[in-house]
Parts: sequence; structure tokens; C-alpha cells
Amino acid sequence: MKTSEKFIYNILNSKFKKFLVLFITISAFVGSVMILPTKIVLAKMLPGKSANTYSIYIDTPTGSSIEQTKTVVQCVNNILRKEKAVQDVESYLGLGSPLDYAGLVKGSGFKRSENVAEIVVNLSDKHKRDEKSYMMVHRLRPVIQKTCQNIVKGTNIKMIEQPAGPPTLASVVVELYGQNSTKVRHIASQIASILKQTKGLVDVDIMQDEIYKKFELQVNKEKIIRSGLTIKQVNQILYLAFKGMDIAVKNSGNSPEQVPLFLVLSKKTKNLSTFSKHALEDKLSSLKLMNKKGMMIPVIELVNINKVNSTPTIMSKDLRKMVNITAETDLVSQVYPLLDARSKMKKFFSKNYDVRNTHLFNLQLKDKKTGDIYDLKWDGEMKVTMDTFRDLGAAFIAALILIFLLMVIYYKSFAISGIILLGSFLSIIGVIVGHWVMDIFTTDTFFLTATSLIGFIALMGISSRNSLLLVDFAIGLIEKGMPKRKAIAVATITRAKPIFLTAAAIILASTLLARDPIFGGLGVALIFGTIAAVAVSLMFVPVLMDNTKSIKDTR
Amino acid sequence: MEKKYVVKNVAGKLAKGFLHNPLTSLLGISLLLLGYLALQIMPREENPQIEISGGIVMVVMPGATPKQIDNVIVKPLERRIKEIKGVQHIYGIAKSNVGIVNVVYYIGENRESSNLKLYDKVMQNMDQLPKRTMQPIVKPFDIDIDIPIVTVAFYPKDGSKISNVQLYKNVKYIQNELNSVENVAKTTLKGEKKEQYNIQVDLKKLSGFHLSMGQIANALKSLAVNVPDIKDRTRDGKLAIFGIKNAIQSVKDIQNLIVAQYMGSPIYLKDVASVKHGYNIQNFQSAEIFYRKNGKFVKTKNQITLTLSKLKGTNAVVIADKIQERLKELNTKLSHEGIGYKITRNYGVRADEAVNELVFHLLISIIIIALLLVFVLGWRESVIVTFTVPAILAITVFVAFMTGQTMNRITLFAFLLSLGLLVDASIIVIENIHRHLHDHDSIDKDMDEILIEATDEIGAPTNIATLAIILTMVPMAFVGQMMGQFMKPIPQNVPVALFASLVIAYIFTPYLARKLLKKPKLHHHKHHFQKPEINLKGGDK
Repeated sequence: MKTSEKFIYNILNSKFKKFLVLFITISAFVGSVMILPTKIVLAKMLPGKSANTYSIYIDTPTGSSIEQTKTVVQCVNNILRKEKAVQDVESYLGLGSPLDYAGLVKGSGFKRSENVAEIVVNLSDKHKRDEKSYMMVHRLRPVIQKTCQNIVKGTNIKMIEQPAGPPTLASVVVELYGQNSTKVRHIASQIASILKQTKGLVDVDIMQDEIYKKFELQVNKEKIIRSGLTIKQVNQILYLAFKGMDIAVKNSGNSPEQVPLFLVLSKKTKNLSTFSKHALEDKLSSLKLMNKKGMMIPVIELVNINKVNSTPTIMSKDLRKMVNITAETDLVSQVYPLLDARSKMKKFFSKNYDVRNTHLFNLQLKDKKTGDIYDLKWDGEMKVTMDTFRDLGAAFIAALILIFLLMVIYYKSFAISGIILLGSFLSIIGVIVGHWVMDIFTTDTFFLTATSLIGFIALMGISSRNSLLLVDFAIGLIEKGMPKRKAIAVATITRAKPIFLTAAAIILASTLLARDPIFGGLGVALIFGTIAAVAVSLMFVPVLMDNTKSIKDTR
Repeated sequence: MEKKYVVKNVAGKLAKGFLHNPLTSLLGISLLLLGYLALQIMPREENPQIEISGGIVMVVMPGATPKQIDNVIVKPLERRIKEIKGVQHIYGIAKSNVGIVNVVYYIGENRESSNLKLYDKVMQNMDQLPKRTMQPIVKPFDIDIDIPIVTVAFYPKDGSKISNVQLYKNVKYIQNELNSVENVAKTTLKGEKKEQYNIQVDLKKLSGFHLSMGQIANALKSLAVNVPDIKDRTRDGKLAIFGIKNAIQSVKDIQNLIVAQYMGSPIYLKDVASVKHGYNIQNFQSAEIFYRKNGKFVKTKNQITLTLSKLKGTNAVVIADKIQERLKELNTKLSHEGIGYKITRNYGVRADEAVNELVFHLLISIIIIALLLVFVLGWRESVIVTFTVPAILAITVFVAFMTGQTMNRITLFAFLLSLGLLVDASIIVIENIHRHLHDHDSIDKDMDEILIEATDEIGAPTNIATLAIILTMVPMAFVGQMMGQFMKPIPQNVPVALFASLVIAYIFTPYLARKLLKKPKLHHHKHHFQKPEINLKGGDK
């Protein structure tokens, strides 16, 4: 017998050594699974990828003018001009930038107001620049927000990176449901301030209109009728004078469209001197309407001016009134800051509300005094992550069952099928330890991602193949008359070569994957999982084979 | 040859069937060709096509407050839409003047029928809309058409004094030109300033001349009238056509419009208002750009962005290239007008880069694996396995192409994932052949028989093991939501690659082994080539 065969044979012959192999394997398994909750290995759906472009969304408070928005855009542009990697920058004022995956779900296509702007930043090619785009975003975010957010009070600036996977509204989205809109507004701002205080969360925003002051003109019906005018005329003249209207069009051969004739008051005479009731009254007294008798009547005679609050947009989801509070993560997984923020919220709201856990991480707040109920649900990337990990988990279990059934059909023995399944399941040791090791050796956080899970599922099949070839060969030898232990030892060593070879092929093919930001998880899972699978197949599986009574000596 | 080996497994059958078949080599070559062709023709794009169904319904009601809109438009509409099967979420937005209902279907719902259902539901309930509302607008989502693959920014060149309107007219012309490129779908402009006559009335002068805005509006309306040509006949039955020329030919015609009489003398429009031929001043939207020129940033300029999207399932790379080509052709005209352009997004390049990067990765991986095999098994064996990799990938790419998939990030990911798995079958077969050839009893056997037996022997466990890996991939096809759609290429392609790897391994590995490998000659005399321990257990067989 070869020395290597003897080595296996000796293990099988000694009860203590067999126990040692089992003990080491099981403690390695328990140990690696224990790593998961300790946050040494962090889970995230998909990590960020370095791209050649990113966007900046600017939202000045509702009711701000395009001029105000423009000053903020200029401020941001001035910061971008100092960046070496920036190649060109496109700013879109009052509208969204050309649609991309991120903008698709963030409502970029619907932007059409004076208080929004989007900036697209194109960088030099990622191979020719040292800084990854997400690191650049991470570095610039505080600078831009600190310098430019105070130009117009209440401005929100978000740095938007292209998602690696399916796009979501934001990394962290809190949906706050409630009927009492003023109360919802209050709670939303409290939640936003909690999110702002949570480490790892940035770009916190409440997706609702700010309330601003506006003037409301109340028509005096009696006066209008007695002056020989109509309410419609008053409405129209106000609109025509201050907003302007296309009165007529001119068809033209050398123009791509009809050319409108646009009538409006000149800027100089239209603009109010100050934002006050008095200035508006002044303006309206010089704007006159002509009645049927040819008399000129100042508009101010026909209306009363009140200064009121604007009515904000009402949002609802699935027929329930809802406000979204969003936040992005800064280089970290959204899972842990979210849990952090959640426990802070529970503590904070328990003063005035009865806080109850509902589905998963969702909360319900019940006002202690009034009994009003507010629902708090997590959406966005968190929900997608939960759904994906749940589905992949289910796929994993389904894969386990399918493999088990296949083995049962092939071997007609539960014990042997169980051994193969257990052998392949233990490759998880390699997956977890691999991520831990990679996290130590890489500068960024190396996350356990959805692709890691996919890799793990694929590993199940690969390592079951190792064990299967081994078991098959051993049974073949036993059938030819070799004693069980010797057959196992010989089979292990004979099969070791193709097992090593195929493992080496997988590992080598995956090394290139491991360098990729998105598929890195898969690569690492395959590399370290395969190493673990080989070790398990060649040490642990033979021991189990020796112990089971399903494989019997023919002699 | 005392007893012939009896083939037990499909692996042996395949090996036997193709071992001497002259068509085998032809099959191999045609597989490689098909794969190469598929790789070239297959549409390339960066992200996979996700089928998201949904749309928005927009109802305008001028002058209504958000609360009114919520009560009379959004809520009833939401209730109606909730009746549609397959709707996952309904988002209602009630703003001043307008109500928007955003409908999101479950992922995987058929897009056409979803759009139809939404449209149908809105139209059925038209009678229940409150008075004073305008016709509802139903707009379905269309990711493929909505997300542009190329965006181009047009801006005035340094020193050029081209007006906003002139820039717009030129870009509009280019939009038309580029829209004719094959497979370009939707094109839009962003930040454009349209041509317009601006009549800005001075309020003070208005009151000075005792005029109202209404009078001016009426005077303008009467000026801009277009009448079709009038057909008259002469007595002898011939046609005599005469038409009225449009009263507005230039700005002067508007400026010299008489709006009223004051104390017997006419008041011209230019007396009370400034009339200019310019761009639409009421449009608050604009776009700007700054870029590097010789390493330094230029001043911020106005720009118009032209966005171009492609039809579903078409090749982003080809379209982007064609657009660039066409732009180059138009460049002389543009620079003559004083317009410069910059391509600010090119998904074609990104898709191409991704694909080429994969091909590069694949090559490196194949070389590394080949080198490994050279050291462990020998160079001939290594050549055999190395050949099987492109053959397997060729089949996979071809099948993907035939099933209407596109080459994108995730498809590539599936290929990369399968790369580590698909050499296994060939390695196992070649290793077994290698082992059998070097076995002590190989001298007694015919080469063909050794090859068939070696392939057949590991057939059953390899089949089962590969089936096991395929089975692990199958449940992934049932992952729901966006992520499931996103990952779909993995369960679609990996099983194909694995299945192909089995077939290729059984057909081509023994075939190539017969061509390239020889029985070790030394065996005839002494077994010193072999490892001595196999001799020891020789008795067991």
C-alpha cells in the first residue's frame, strides 16, 4: 500500500483518530457558523461596483425658484471642477437627467419643477484611475453637502451611484402609514433625525413637499358681477399677465414646429418688489380689466388677498396614506444600520407610543393618548435583500432535497445519500471562513452577498460530485472483493487525483472572479468552499463511510 | 482480446459511436463555428432585460387642491385599479391640479396584457371621472425604450454665437437623422429651448394708453390666421387658385400690429410691448455642461442632450457604433454652424467591454487550467481538455442565442460560473483514460477498448454528479421578484453548459485521445513506468 493509502487506512483503524476527524470537522462547522452573527462577516445583497459615472440629485425645498436651485448646482459644479478624475459634467435644471437604472425607480423621469436638478458626472475610465467611483462618492459627499446644502435652507443633496443589481428606491426606506397627516409629518421628521444619527446612513430625506407660504386670491363675486365682468375673465387675465399664454401660432416651413406667439407682462413690470401682500396689492392695482362699457377696472378691486400655507402633495400606497423616509448607505451594508436605527426608534417612540413588532422588522406605533395607529414598514433594498436571501435560502434547501432524492434513487440507501449530502453541506465552512479571510486582506469590507449564496448553492453540487465518485469507486472495489477499510483507503487515494484536479480547475477559474467586485463573493465562495469540500471529501467522508453499515464487506 | 468489454452506460455508447465516425471531427468544427457566430451575432447589452410591467395614469384637473384631487380622482381611481388581477402595488400622488396613480404589476406578468388591462380599466370608468377633468393619460412603463443607451450633449463651440433656438433647430434635425438609424427606438431632447415670439407687455404703458391685456390678446389672435388656398374657376372651366399669405412673416409684422386707436392715432404693439423672436422664456428647464479641453475645464455652457434608446433584444454595441458613425458624418455641418458635441453616455461601449473582458477572462482561465494539466497529466491530455472548453461554451452560447437571450453582465456571469464546472467531466474522463492506459493490463487490450471502457466506467457517477449540480441550479429559476428576473440567465445557462460538458466529454475526449494518446510502449517488458503499489494490489482484480 502507498503511504498515503496507509495514512487513510490508519485513521480508519483507530477509533480515536476517527473521533478526532469528526470532532475537528464538526467544531470547524460550528465555529464558522458562529461567525455569522458576530458581524465579523457582513451580509449585503450586492456590493458597490466601480463605475465611470455617478449622479447627484438636488432638491431645494418645494416652492423654491429655478434661480435658487441654480445657485446650488453651481456650488456643486465648482467642487466637481477641482476633481482630477472628472471628465465632463452635465447639469439638468428643472428636469431629470437622461433615464438610467437608478433614475427609473427614483422617479427621475417625472421631475418637472423648479426645485429639482440633476447632475451627471462622467469620470475617466476606471482602469486609468486610482480611486474607485464609490470611494470618490464617499469622499465628496460630506464636502458637497456641507458646502452647498446651506445656500438654500432645507436643500437636500443626494449622491446616486448606479446599482450593481436591481435598482431600488433607496437602500433604506421607511414607509410611514397614518391617517393624521400633521402627526405623520411630525413622526416622519423624528424618524429622519434618528436615521441621520445612525452611523453608516447618509442622504436622509423625507419624500414630501415642504410647506411654504403662498398668496390666495379670493374673488369678490358681487363686485365682479356689478362691474359687468365674469370670474373667468379675472382668472384669465391673471394667468395671462403673470404666467403668460400662447395666444396664436405661426406655421413656418423652416422651423421644426409651429412657432407660438407668447404674450405675457414684461419681467420688469411683472416681478414683485418683495414677497409681501402689499407688493402684490400694488401690482394688482395697476393691472386693469376692461368691462363691456369700456371702463377699466383694477383687478385689486375684485379680489381679496390672503397669505396662506401651501397644501402639500398627498402620497398613498395601496390605498393607504403614506410618507417615505429614505436613506442611503455609505460603503456599508444596509442591514446593520437598519437594525441599529430600528432599536433606537423603538426606544425613542416608547415614550409616547405603544410600540409593537409586526411582520419581520416592521413596527406599529399606537399613540398612548389618542389611540391613533401608525405603521412603520421597511422597504427598498432591505426588502429586496430579505426577499432574495429568503428565496435563495429556499432554493438552497430545495437543492439539498433534490440532491438527496437523486442519491437515494442511485444508491437506494438513505445512509450513503446522507453521507454525501452532509459532506457537501460542510463546504459552508470554507465559504464563511473564506469571506472572513478576504475581509481581513482587502481594504474595503468584503460582504457575504447574494452571489456568495449562488456560489454556495453551486458548491453543493460540486462537492457532492467529489463524495459521489469516491463512494462509487469504493463500492466498486468492495464488490470486486477488497476488504471494506482497504477499499475505502484505496478509493480515497485513487480518486484524490481527479478530485484535486477538478478542484484546482474550479479554484483557478474562480480566481479571476474573486477580483470582481460583484462576483467576488461567488469566486471566494467557490475557491474556499472547494478547498473545504476537498478536505471534507478526503477525510470526513471516508470516516463516515467506514462507520456506516450500509456499505458492507462482500466477504 | 479474449472478452470484449460490454458497454453499460450512455457514456460508453457515445464514446463508441463517435470514436471512429468521420463526422466527429466535422461536428467539432461546426460546433466551434456555430458558437463563434453566435458570440458575434448575439445582441450585447450591459444589463439584462427585466420585464417590469406597470404604468402611470395621470388625470389633470385645473385649479384643484391636493385634497380635492385625492378625494375625487386618486382614491376612486385606486379602487378601480385594485380590481385588476396581477397588480402588486398602487402608488397614489395627489398634487395641486393633477392626480397621478402609479401602478406596479408583479414581476413576470405579461407586459402587453398588463398594459391592456390598465388601459381598459381606465377607459371603462371614464364616465365616473368628475367634471372639469381633462382626458386621463395612461402611460405604460417600457424599460427598453425608456432607458437611453446613448446620450449626446450638443453645445455651442468656443467663440460661437449660435442662439439657443438655432441650436435647438440643428439638434432637432440631428434627432431626425439619428432616429433613422436601424433599431433606434425613442429619441428625446432635454434642455431644449423652442422658437417663439415673445410679446412682453409693459404694465405701465398699458395703463398709460388705457389698454387691457385682453385687447392685445384679441388683436394678436386676429392676426395669426391661416386659410387654405381658394379654388376659383374661369369661365372656360380652368382652375384659378389664389391664397392669402400668412400675415406674420417677420417680427416686424407683429411689432406693427395696431392694437387700438388712442385719440385718433393708432397704437402699435411695439409701443406698449417688446416683441422679440426668441426662445420660450416661460420654460424654466435647462441643461448645462462643462468638460475638459486640453486638460482644463471650459466654462459652463448651455447644452441640449439628445437621448437615444434601442428596440428590445437588439445589439446595443452595433447601434451605438452606427450612431457614432452618423454623428461623425454630420460633424462638418455641425462645426460649420458652430456646434460641438460630446457623447455623455455610451452603453454600447460598456456592453462591449464587459463581453470582451469575459472572453479575456475565459482565455486566461483556460490557459491556466491547460498548464495545470500539462504538469499533472501530460501535454497531450492537456490539449484534449483545453479543446473541450471552447466546444462546450460554443454550445452554450449557441443555445442562449437560439432562446433569444442577450449577452449581458449576468449571462457572462453564468458562463464564468460554469467555466469551473464544465472542465470537470472532461478531466474525469481523461484522467480515467490516463489511468487505464498506464494500468498494468493495458498491454493486453486494444486501444479502442481501453478508451471505451475508461469512459464507460466513470459514466454512471459522472452523470449522477452532473445531474446533481444541474439540480442545484433548477430551484434558482423560481426565485421571485426583481432579483429572480435579474439572475435568470444563471439557471438558464449553467445547466445547458453542464449538459453540454457531459456530451462533449463522452464524445470528444475518447475521440481526441485516440488521435493523440498512445499506450506507453515500455509496458510490454517491464512495469517500471508504473507505480509499484498498483502491482501489489494487482491480485485484487
